[in-house]
Amino acid sequence: MKNIIEGAVGVVLALVLHTVLGKISVTLLILFNAFSWVVLYFALSRHEVFGAIMGTVCGLLQDSLSLGVFGVGGLTKTLLGFSAGYISRKINVTPLNRTFVFALVMAAAELFLWKTLVLFLFGERWNAAGGLIFVQPLMTALSVTIVFQVRRKAEAGRA
Amino acid sequence: MKEKRRFLLLLGLVFAHLLLISIQVPKGGEPTYLERAVFTLFTPVEHGVVSFFQGLQDFWRNYFYLRDVQRQNQSLREEAFLLRQENQALKNLLLKFQGGREIQDLLSTVSRSILVASVIGIDPGQVYKTIQLNKGTAAGVRKDMVVLDRKGHLVGRVVEPISSKESRVQLISDEDSGVGVVTERFRVVGILQGDAAGKCWLKYIVKTNKEISVDEELLTSGLDGVYPSGLPVGRIVSIAEDNDLFKKIIVQPYFDLSDLEQVAVFTADLRELT
Repeated sequence: MKNIIEGAVGVVLALVLHTVLGKISVTLLILFNAFSWVVLYFALSRHEVFGAIMGTVCGLLQDSLSLGVFGVGGLTKTLLGFSAGYISRKINVTPLNRTFVFALVMAAAELFLWKTLVLFLFGERWNAAGGLIFVQPLMTALSVTIVFQVRRKAEAGRA
Repeated sequence: MKEKRRFLLLLGLVFAHLLLISIQVPKGGEPTYLERAVFTLFTPVEHGVVSFFQGLQDFWRNYFYLRDVQRQNQSLREEAFLLRQENQALKNLLLKFQGGREIQDLLSTVSRSILVASVIGIDPGQVYKTIQLNKGTAAGVRKDMVVLDRKGHLVGRVVEPISSKESRVQLISDEDSGVGVVTERFRVVGILQGDAAGKCWLKYIVKTNKEISVDEELLTSGLDGVYPSGLPVGRIVSIAEDNDLFKKIIVQPYFDLSDLEQVAVFTADLRELT
């Protein structure tokens, strides 16, 4: 039950953050993908099953707010959540620099997969938004690393 | 065994997504029930967040931050005065061409059909594709209604899904959008298509056409069957040629996504009025 509530709070927080960023500046929406943050965070902290489910929910939510084929975002985020959770269970990614590199690789892979699917399956152009889109994985990795490390510190403090 | 079950779950989810994607092909872009459900379920969150921040902003501006209010008030009064004069002059001019009763009815229909809506969200995938509004079917919003910015420039049209209190707008900068346009001076007809990066392409203008130039204004032609004629759309910023049969013309739309807090949705069919 606790997991479901935390997951639901995560999804709503992603949506709130997305809305607030959009109100501040359009550029921020290109730089920050709040839905990817939530999927990566839960994949790192709860591993593959929870990561995949969060990926499905966040991806479909992202698709529902977008015009295009419903399910493409869901598919890529499900794969992101599962693979990030699975790999983080097999190798130790808890140290700061490892969390950052791992999140960066996963976020870049998700972006590449999503754009490739959109390009090859649906014939839409690779829109890089003046190169800004390539900064998105970096910002995602940075944000997830900070939140994940804060959570770790808080847990260590409680223990 | 446990590991196998995890991979089975992944396979199940991937299969469900592929099924979801494939069932949309015969529907031709129509939103699925699931998409409508997720949209209806979550857009109220965006609506609430925007209302909350709008409330905070209004509170701050109305009770604390009153600097320059007097100057702004004076400037708005002057603007309203000038607009009233302009409005009256245009009404008088119109009366010369059409019957008085007819024009009065037309003007009152136009003013009754304007629905002011706030932008509550921007497409998370591609920012220049769609926006969400805080008005839906309850306020009379329907598919294909025309959306303009506060200066009367074309923004896009309402597309599905539309919930009772929220709706989605396809921007003219979306690469799947198509708007029939004409140039202001020589009435050269073309199709405007978004480039998904904030600008648009003016398509199907043959290289031999010499009646088109940079800085020219584009208006809707009304030939696409969606948008009424005469709405300002944007301005040509560059014209290039290559081996292709057509010119490569880039258009800067007039609407500014970063300045799009409120829009006007036309609830009446403007094509019948113009």
